[in-house]
Amino acid sequence: MRATQMILTRLRAPGFYRAFAGVAFGIAFAAALTWVVRMSTGHTTYTHYLSPDAILTVSLIGCPIFFLIGLGAFDYWFYWVSGRPTRPESHANHGAYSWKDYFKVNTDHKVIGVQYVVTSFFFLLVGGLIAMLMRIQLAQPGSKFVDANTYNGLFSVHATVLIFFFVIPVFAGLANFVLPLMIGAPDMAFPRLNALSFWMLPLGGAIMLLSFLAPGGSFSDGWTAYAPLSTVSPIGQNFFSIGVQFAGASSVATALNFLVTIITMRAPGMSFFRMPLLVWANFSTSLLVVIATPFVAASQFMVLLDRALGFNFFDADKGGNVLMYQHIFWFYSHPAVYIMILPGFGIISEILAVKSRKPIFGYRMMAFSLLAIVLLGFTVWAHHMFTSGMPAWLRIPMAITTVIIAVPTGIKVFSWLATLYRGVLHVDTPMLFALGFLITFSAGGISGIMLAMLPLDIHVSASYFIVAHLHYVLFGGSLFTIFAGVYYWFPKMTGRMYDERLGKWHFWSTFIFFNLTFGPMHILGLEGMPRRVATYAAQFADMNLFISICSWILGAATLIFLYNMVNSWRGGPRAEANPWRALTLEWQVSSPPPVFNFDRVPTVVGGPYEYGVPGAVHGIFTPAPLPSEVRTQTAGNVPVPSGGE
Amino acid sequence: MPETPESRRSVILTAIAGVLATAIGIVLSFVIHWFPPEASAQAKNTDRLYHVLVIASIPIFVLVATVILYCVWKFRMRPGQELMDGPPMHGNTRLEVFWTALPAALVLSLVSYSFVVLHENEKKLPGREIQVGVTGQQFFWDYEYPSSVTGGAPLKSYSLYVPKGESVYFDIHSKDVIHAFWIPAFRLQIDAVPGITTHYRATPIRLGTYPVVCNLLCGVGHSFMRSAIHVVTPAKFKAWIKSQMGKPSTVATG
Amino acid sequence: MEAASIAHPPGGGPAEHEHHGPPPAHSSSRVDPQLLGMLLFIISEIMIFGAFFTAYFFIRVAQGDQWPAPGTQLPVYPTLVNTCILISSSFTMHWAQTSIKKGNRFGLKAGILTTFLLGVTFLFLQVNEYANIGFAPQDAAQQTIFYSLTGLHGAHVTIGLILLAIVTIRSWRGHYTPEEHRGVEVPGIYWHFVDIMWIVVYTTVYII
Ligand code: HEA
Ligand code: HEA
Ligand code: CUA
Ligand SMILES: [Cu+2]
Repeated sequence: MRATQMILTRLRAPGFYRAFAGVAFGIAFAAALTWVVRMSTGHTTYTHYLSPDAILTVSLIGCPIFFLIGLGAFDYWFYWVSGRPTRPESHANHGAYSWKDYFKVNTDHKVIGVQYVVTSFFFLLVGGLIAMLMRIQLAQPGSKFVDANTYNGLFSVHATVLIFFFVIPVFAGLANFVLPLMIGAPDMAFPRLNALSFWMLPLGGAIMLLSFLAPGGSFSDGWTAYAPLSTVSPIGQNFFSIGVQFAGASSVATALNFLVTIITMRAPGMSFFRMPLLVWANFSTSLLVVIATPFVAASQFMVLLDRALGFNFFDADKGGNVLMYQHIFWFYSHPAVYIMILPGFGIISEILAVKSRKPIFGYRMMAFSLLAIVLLGFTVWAHHMFTSGMPAWLRIPMAITTVIIAVPTGIKVFSWLATLYRGVLHVDTPMLFALGFLITFSAGGISGIMLAMLPLDIHVSASYFIVAHLHYVLFGGSLFTIFAGVYYWFPKMTGRMYDERLGKWHFWSTFIFFNLTFGPMHILGLEGMPRRVATYAAQFADMNLFISICSWILGAATLIFLYNMVNSWRGGPRAEANPWRALTLEWQVSSPPPVFNFDRVPTVVGGPYEYGVPGAVHGIFTPAPLPSEVRTQTAGNVPVPSGGE
Repeated sequence: MPETPESRRSVILTAIAGVLATAIGIVLSFVIHWFPPEASAQAKNTDRLYHVLVIASIPIFVLVATVILYCVWKFRMRPGQELMDGPPMHGNTRLEVFWTALPAALVLSLVSYSFVVLHENEKKLPGREIQVGVTGQQFFWDYEYPSSVTGGAPLKSYSLYVPKGESVYFDIHSKDVIHAFWIPAFRLQIDAVPGITTHYRATPIRLGTYPVVCNLLCGVGHSFMRSAIHVVTPAKFKAWIKSQMGKPSTVATG
Repeated sequence: MEAASIAHPPGGGPAEHEHHGPPPAHSSSRVDPQLLGMLLFIISEIMIFGAFFTAYFFIRVAQGDQWPAPGTQLPVYPTLVNTCILISSSFTMHWAQTSIKKGNRFGLKAGILTTFLLGVTFLFLQVNEYANIGFAPQDAAQQTIFYSLTGLHGAHVTIGLILLAIVTIRSWRGHYTPEEHRGVEVPGIYWHFVDIMWIVVYTTVYII
């Protein structure tokens, strides 16, 4: 009696009980819906009213949504809609007072930031673990470790998880934590939207990983899921098409949130050219996301429609167009690669300025080059299609725009080098990763420029040369900046210091074995080893064995990082407010920052990187009267969308 | 800019190291030839382009690396400098213009050269050109020689023979999903796309048998979708066609 | 793991924090955050349509297929009526918005209700058109494009109608004042976007 009572209240209150009830409801809903639809369209179209595939597909869309409703991600809006009092001044679910608060729908950008970072690092480990399995399969030719279908599934999930559920969201997470602090805002513009976009992430990721349980195996058409292969392959492909929708919705919502926050919530005196470059970087990235991401959503909708309802977007026999998929996909996915590097550029600018105790060299050019990359990024998508059979003339303009991207990127690289020159370099772990990034990313970028040279690309396209390039820019580029950023802001996020010695170990092992793993892949590609193969010609055997061994050590290196983070977070020495003697605002508050960031919003009086300028200040905390009850009342609903009342 | 003779010396040392590294890198890229055999005229051009690219790229990479190493070597924080800052340099317009203009000039000239090579590789040569139809499907290739080549009925076959020294024009189709028709020894590939026909032109210049690779993920059998191209003398080629015309078995193609 | 819990301001604790709130954010721009948010959202909506129009472009222009597909024709004039209905709903929406600004509650209620009803009519006629048009999206690429473009727009009308329903209910409950009417303003913008989008879809799919 009592128990049922308790369960009922549990089910009524927002939380995981209600969430999983929501999932159950979602499945029932899917079954009912498909039944009704199939019945109404009648026997002529469908032989059976209940189709497992249909139910599965609809559940994949429905369950996450009902899960979110159950979790309480929408409660506020439901109240708001029904016009009931929404208690905007309550901060009940704001801030974290125990680890439990990290498993709730929380509206504090700092909590959400940590949730983001931890979740996406979990996906890094999973994606990396999958890579380890791939390398076992590739260790020698003709290996029977997994069958070809499973292998195709492995690298497809590997890439999907690491791109959509690690690199993109982890940058969103880091920025979530530091960006409002950096611009002197008490929170993001739409805290509840922020919470929602986080919670879509684990759901989408779960869909991706659950695809391994699907009949016929996980989706196995690569992270690019080219039609028409993706429109004829087993049900697992639906997991990709739908999972990507959640990742996409999440990153669009976050980007929108960043843009509004940056435009409307900067502290007094924080003009655009006084913003730290990380803010600039996320501003440009968010522009890319808002404009480009709808295209990948659309491309997957089309695949889904072709698969589920027999539409003919990509069915050549019915007048569909096969190359259309690649154009739409790459119109997102090339900008996506800049979505995956520009925030990293921001992180590097922060770290290099602070760690070499000098102003960023050519601040304005740094900002403008970001915008230049955003613009150019939209004009190069077809460099992924040089061998696709698209109109031959289109290759020429695309090749030109592609190589021109070397110019703004070069401006950044050279300005970073000039920032180092004659500085006082504190070569600790964040700095090491930043410097390592400069080297590996330059290599990866230069190989990218080579790929823009048509005759060469016609040879190496879709060979291991591509695999080498993309890991040099994604691992040696994005992931290095992520490691740098995590070490750099670890004290601010956790209030603890990480272990410097382990950090250095982590860097050196990663740097060395990263190059030993992915460097030789360039050669494999030139020699003619195709990518996406479960087995390969005997001539490539030795080098692949070498690569596999190095890759396992590279994986182990990641475990050093894991150990360092967990240990330091639990028992590391307390960090003071500003261990790096940085000028940007996030370091002017305690570590970790107070729940509401600032007791009073700071005033910005100078640039963010005025190191070495005698007596330079970036922000000051103007003395203001202690917040009266009235002001906090209104204060409460400043950052939140409070509709009519 | 370096003031003391001591620091000037270190700059010179670093510069020398950089030049050496560049030289070694370029020499290595020449002595170790990673590519498969150059079995087509196109391959020669493409490899030349590759070497030009490497010669242009290595100095850039070495520059970045040496500057970093030099800065870490000379400017890393010494004991006692914990609270020191560097000189507040905010920028230098002349320098910034320089490193905007130079890479721009470099990449634009490189890409123009790549267009030249592309044109060389794709232009139709004077003289005889034979056509070969290529069809990809899960998970094998088959080939068709039109009557213009066989002199009789068109010939379907699972094996691919081409005459050395004559330009070959491939018409590439797909029956199901996208495949890619890659001949590493020719440095040529293009996708086989359902609904359209794609082409490329190759001039085999080296006798031998070379792998033909399906280079676009096309399903479970993708890793095994392999074939071979036999470059033979024109005489041998004619003989082979004749021999094939004999047996009807090869005509039957799934 | 220890959380940000050590961030307690002196004597801080959950109970404490029910009362203490963040300092008011400095608003560094004249644009209202929610308007800006809606505008950005509309930009990405436009891009979604853009992707489907790309498909339209590939089938009809790049591939040069006959439009509409051989043996089918599109009900241009019935849909023209429907178009007028949707456009007029934009005006009633505008009426509702101006009324509340002037504090005229009747104008708000009447305007929003008629807008809602016009929207429903549009959707109903659209569905009816599907039922009687005589071809299915499975037939060929042109039909696929027709259904996906009009269907995508129909989905947006539905979303718009949900928003309008909310606004209607709330205006009947006496919400919104001349000072505070973003709740009408923001859905209004979305509704206008849906209408303009329809004009584009209608001209490209039916007329040209
Ligand atoms: C973070 C991700 C990221 C980044 C930043 C880049 C950056 C670049 N990429 Fe890459 N790319 C990928 C991720 C990325 N790429 C992925 C994942 C794929 C494979 C997709 C798939 O098929 O699965 C891919 C594939 C890919 C291709 C397609 C190959 C093929 O499939 O046939 C091409 C072709 O042009 C290309 C080019 C470039 C170029 C020119 C840049 C430029 O932006 C690089 C600019 C940077 C520099 C040039 C270095 C720094 C500059 C200097 C040191 C100044 C001096 C330099 C010069 C003068 C040259 N990339
Ligand atoms: C950010 C993106 C990213 C990252 C970080 C990586 C990391 C790695 N990748 Fe991947 N990769 C891609 C993006 C990425 N990759 C993409 C986009 C593709 C193209 C896919 C396609 O063709 O569609 C690809 C494809 C790809 C291939 C080609 C597959 C093929 O074409 O057949 C290979 C082959 O070696 C490979 C290997 C690796 C390895 C060894 C790592 C290593 O760096 C991984 C190192 C390991 C870790 C970082 C974690 C280690 C964890 C453990 C040791 C266990 C601990 C775990 C728990 C406690 C749960 N990757
Ligand atoms: Cu055919 Cu891969
Ligand atoms: Cu690209």
